[in-house]
Amino acid sequence: MKKAVVLTLFVGWIAIASVSRAAESNAENYLLHCSGCHGADGRGVPGVTPSLHGIAELLERPGGRAYLGRVPGVAQAALDDRKLAALLNWVLTEFSQHSADPPYSGKEMHRLRKNPLRDTVSGRPTQASTKE
Amino acid sequence: MTRLDAWWEERARRLARNAGRRTFLARMGTLLVGGTALPLLPVARAYGEGKKSARVPAPAEGFDGPAGDPKRCEYWRHCAIDGFACACCGGSATTCPPGTEVSPVTWVGTCRNPADGKDYLISYNDCCGKAFCGRCPCNRNEGERPDYHWYRNNDINWCAGARSQVYNCSLAVVIGQATEAQPEK
Repeated sequence: MKKAVVLTLFVGWIAIASVSRAAESNAENYLLHCSGCHGADGRGVPGVTPSLHGIAELLERPGGRAYLGRVPGVAQAALDDRKLAALLNWVLTEFSQHSADPPYSGKEMHRLRKNPLRDTVSGRPTQASTKE
Repeated sequence: MTRLDAWWEERARRLARNAGRRTFLARMGTLLVGGTALPLLPVARAYGEGKKSARVPAPAEGFDGPAGDPKRCEYWRHCAIDGFACACCGGSATTCPPGTEVSPVTWVGTCRNPADGKDYLISYNDCCGKAFCGRCPCNRNEGERPDYHWYRNNDINWCAGARSQVYNCSLAVVIGQATEAQPEK
């Protein structure tokens, strides 16, 4: 019984440490790959770069999920598919307090970034859009 | 008219009684010197009220690193700088020279601090609004990426996002600790 408790605590500690480390890694990748333009606080620069606060709203729009994976800053980031997916999921929860459902996966990012947006303005999903 | 003259005379005499000339001179002097010196203080104009669009990233606490000479290109934070070190231009590694504003957009690289052997994230914001500084021209490109990875490139004039696109010098602000050197292995 005692062994089982110790084992459970150990596994729990490992899990918590892993989650914590992943969050640190995403925060670091954000600073390195995104913060230069979007700012450390994700608020962007009015008239220059967009804020990341509230981008989860795009997930509700037709084509929005794909759009977030295809914008140049995401699609061209110097990160592998798995790290990029984790970073995008982190950005959504960090700045929009909203999770993608289901979360972006490395496989999905691989597919989306192979087809980056050429025109981010006209390609931006709107409420009325039905484009996928 | 006489009453008006009397009123003014009374006001002038009261002022003369209550306000010493020395006090007046001291206050006037402070105002003149202070008012002239204020714009010379080494603060980034971009910190101005309502200017959320332009700011130096807040330096990460506890990651200042050991003493080094920010006026030298060999300074550890300058490992990926391409431009004039602001410390040689009237500013410092983290503050823009007087009369310039910090670029709100920039690129971020990593440098290894030889003192502790750890890697740190460095934000290379440009200072903009005055002609190029010309002192301490540094061109170190460790971990910098080619132009087609523009957001990791130091050849770009990052003043593009500032009110003035005239480049003066570059900062090197530590914004956090990195777990690995760039480029990634």
